Amino acid sequence: MISASDLRLTFGKGTPLENPALRGMSLTVNQGEFVTVIGSNGAGKSTFLNALAGEVMVDSGEIIVDNTDVTKLPTHKRANRVARVFQDPLAGTCEGLSIEENLALAIKRGQRRGLTAAVKKQYMEKFRDSLSSLKLGLENRLGDKMGLLSGGQRQAVSLLMASLTPSSILLLDEHTAALDPKTAAFVLELTEKIIEEQKLTALMVTHSMKQALEVGSRTVMLHQGQVVFDIAGKEREGLEVKDLLGLFEKQRGLSVDDDSLLLG
Amino acid sequence: MLSEIAFYGAVETGLIYGLVAFGIYISFRVLDFPDLTVDGSFPLGAAVAAVLIISGWNPWIATGAAVLAGMAAGAVTAMLNVKLNILNLLASILTMIALYSVNLRIMGRPNVALLTEDTVLTPWYDLGLAYHQVPVLLFILVVIVAFILLWRFMKSETGLAMRATGANARMARAQGIATGGMIILGVALSNGLVGLAGALFAQSQGAADVTMGVGVIVIGLASLIGGEAVITPSTVVRALLACVFGAIIYRLAIAFALNADVLGLQAQDLNLITAVLVTLAIVLPGVRTSVMSKLSRKKA
Repeated sequence: MISASDLRLTFGKGTPLENPALRGMSLTVNQGEFVTVIGSNGAGKSTFLNALAGEVMVDSGEIIVDNTDVTKLPTHKRANRVARVFQDPLAGTCEGLSIEENLALAIKRGQRRGLTAAVKKQYMEKFRDSLSSLKLGLENRLGDKMGLLSGGQRQAVSLLMASLTPSSILLLDEHTAALDPKTAAFVLELTEKIIEEQKLTALMVTHSMKQALEVGSRTVMLHQGQVVFDIAGKEREGLEVKDLLGLFEKQRGLSVDDDSLLLG
Repeated sequence: MLSEIAFYGAVETGLIYGLVAFGIYISFRVLDFPDLTVDGSFPLGAAVAAVLIISGWNPWIATGAAVLAGMAAGAVTAMLNVKLNILNLLASILTMIALYSVNLRIMGRPNVALLTEDTVLTPWYDLGLAYHQVPVLLFILVVIVAFILLWRFMKSETGLAMRATGANARMARAQGIATGGMIILGVALSNGLVGLAGALFAQSQGAADVTMGVGVIVIGLASLIGGEAVITPSTVVRALLACVFGAIIYRLAIAFALNADVLGLQAQDLNLITAVLVTLAIVLPGVRTSVMSKLSRKKA
């Protein structure tokens, strides 16, 4: 379970470029929930995810993960609880390291690292099994450099790496946005499969309203650094993009002027 | 032609610079941290070892102390960068400048002679080898030990975390790696190796001198880049081999250039030759690949 309450964060405080990114953001994600997050550019989606991961520190508010207050902890001290897949397919893996070395890094996520060999024989079966579930033939290329893989393949491996060890929450930051449509569909399908099979708790930011409604069990919309609506269960079933827009306008008395939300 | 003594001398210095190249490999290549501290930590290692040896300490203990002193210098540079957010290059220049004073303080004068002292080399002269072969033998052993330890370390969990820190810091943090700590450890390790090189250099040359560090970074980089041009550093083992062979090839090339009378080069041309060699080492691999691709196109 992860719970964020009244998060506030202003970038460039006291400068002409002052930008309040989070203005009292509160959200609780329960065990086993798969929440999709939408919002226009500048709504605070990425900042919210970065705040949960520890990449940025909030000015005020509280972040609790599994009954532990992590608000003040840096990224690497939250890594045992928080797993992450980035938007940029190149960001989640190290291209200069081999596939097995990348997986070996991920299998020790948030744990102490010692002086024993990083790539251990006892990991091999697990690595091969999980790679073969991708059906990309990567299980026979464990020694290959990550840089030899395509963006889609690398994103698939990033996803695998994030799910190699248990986490309290999996953060997905528009992780299909930089891929071509076919690859994006493959990675999204894989995401759903992994989340379902391992019963993960996940938070997925997306730019596409359609995707936000099709995937997951709950949808949250952000606007100006706050949650404007939060729908789940029966209320969410059968909802379409235009209903979502209607809901948004009703809530805020605003019209959505960001066309990109309608795309996809 | 190169005399036998000049050849062994070049290999001997090459092996010492192989250790420097190991250090530079860790900072420049593994951590992507351009570290100029080495110009200060090389004479620091020499100064610490020399002063301890003339005060009657065992030369191996003195050499060990030189390694620790080098590591401390590296840690200072890394902490200036990590804790105080000073640009890495600038942080290393600050430490390098500070070390000049520190080295003078340690020695109490600009240089310390070791000619009459027992050094790590002394017992080896009883083996019956020629005088100029002894340092080569000992330094080969030291380089092999350093090579194996470094290779094992780079393959370990901590070493892998260090490589990830340099390659993709954001990803490393997301995997729970304290990237700041890794930078401090890596730069310390790097300068520890350079301190070791300085200590051995002082003992084989018979003196520690406060100016002996000038240009060590350039020679180390020349060795690293030259070695990478000969041995493509696609794995850790190949990268480390490239360091050693690059350093030896570099010293041999310098020795040949200075000994070839037809070229008319003299000792004062050393830095010019270095610059030319580094340029060639950077440019040649590109030429090689373009020639190879032209050849293969012709075949097809």
